[in-house]
Amino acid sequence: MPDSVTQAKWDRIAPRFDTMAGGGAEERWQPAKQELFSHMDGKILFLALGTGLDIPTFPTGKDITAIDISPRMIDEAQERVAAYDGAISARVMDVHEMSFEPGSFDQVFTSCTFCSVPDPVKGLKALHHVLKPDGKLFMFEHTGSRFYPFKAMMNAMTLLTERFGPAMNRKTVENVRAAGFRIDEVNNVFLDVVKTIKAAKAG
Amino acid sequence: MDHRPFFAVGDFLVNIAIGVLTGLLCWAIVDTGWNMWLAMFAMMALGMIAGLVMFFIVSIKLGAMEVMVPVMFSGMLSGMVVGMAAAMIPLGLADAALMGGASGLLGIVIIWIVNSWLRGPVKQI
Repeated sequence: MPDSVTQAKWDRIAPRFDTMAGGGAEERWQPAKQELFSHMDGKILFLALGTGLDIPTFPTGKDITAIDISPRMIDEAQERVAAYDGAISARVMDVHEMSFEPGSFDQVFTSCTFCSVPDPVKGLKALHHVLKPDGKLFMFEHTGSRFYPFKAMMNAMTLLTERFGPAMNRKTVENVRAAGFRIDEVNNVFLDVVKTIKAAKAG
Repeated sequence: MDHRPFFAVGDFLVNIAIGVLTGLLCWAIVDTGWNMWLAMFAMMALGMIAGLVMFFIVSIKLGAMEVMVPVMFSGMLSGMVVGMAAAMIPLGLADAALMGGASGLLGIVIIWIVNSWLRGPVKQI
């Protein structure tokens, strides 16, 4: 059974999600996302599809399995899924309880996902499990900052934002490593808060 | 700094605006009877909260973290400068607005400089 608290939180936000996140943020992040998604190749798992805001930045002709914990989000994404020039299979699934066979995917992509996964290391370990032995993980994420006063600001913001959506102070790079991945590249997009992470399945 | 004109100009104006707004809040709340340190810390917190409110207003058009972090920082900086000044000397409305606006401008310039330093590949992962 998916985490019902998290599912209900994202179901509630789904109808307003594009208004909240689909304007300036997506436009700001489009170049970095396009660069990251240009690496899509082989059998791909895309985690936390949401309303499909990322789909227009995907390269065409890919075979993508996309999951999200929220059925309402998947419903909202249908138009963008249908408009994609390639194959996207969208399913409701909790990252903590994925039903894919071990080693099912060549690559996993995430986009502003691990700010919201309740147990990030467990979620990342689940991704490690479904990747092939030489599989790759590509992430576009916002995280906490190492530097004051930004670190304190992100911690303060998290007290508020976690009630209705994401955490602002996650240590995602450390979590990726803790889940057993080898980090190949971290690229800061804005300060050390918005970043892309490229990692590989190790061991 | 985002080089696209809409975002560069937007960041610039929003940070000056939050500086002016925080300066005016300091002018309205703090007077020379306040302890300087109390005024500084209280107005820093108020500036951050004002920045957060501003973020929710402008984020739909201007972005997420690229707006939230600078406006909260500029609000905090303006609160610190104008709050402390208002506790030390009688401050007029125009002076508070000007001082706040200048602090907001300084805030976004600091963010641009720090971003230029941090942006790009991280050498020690």
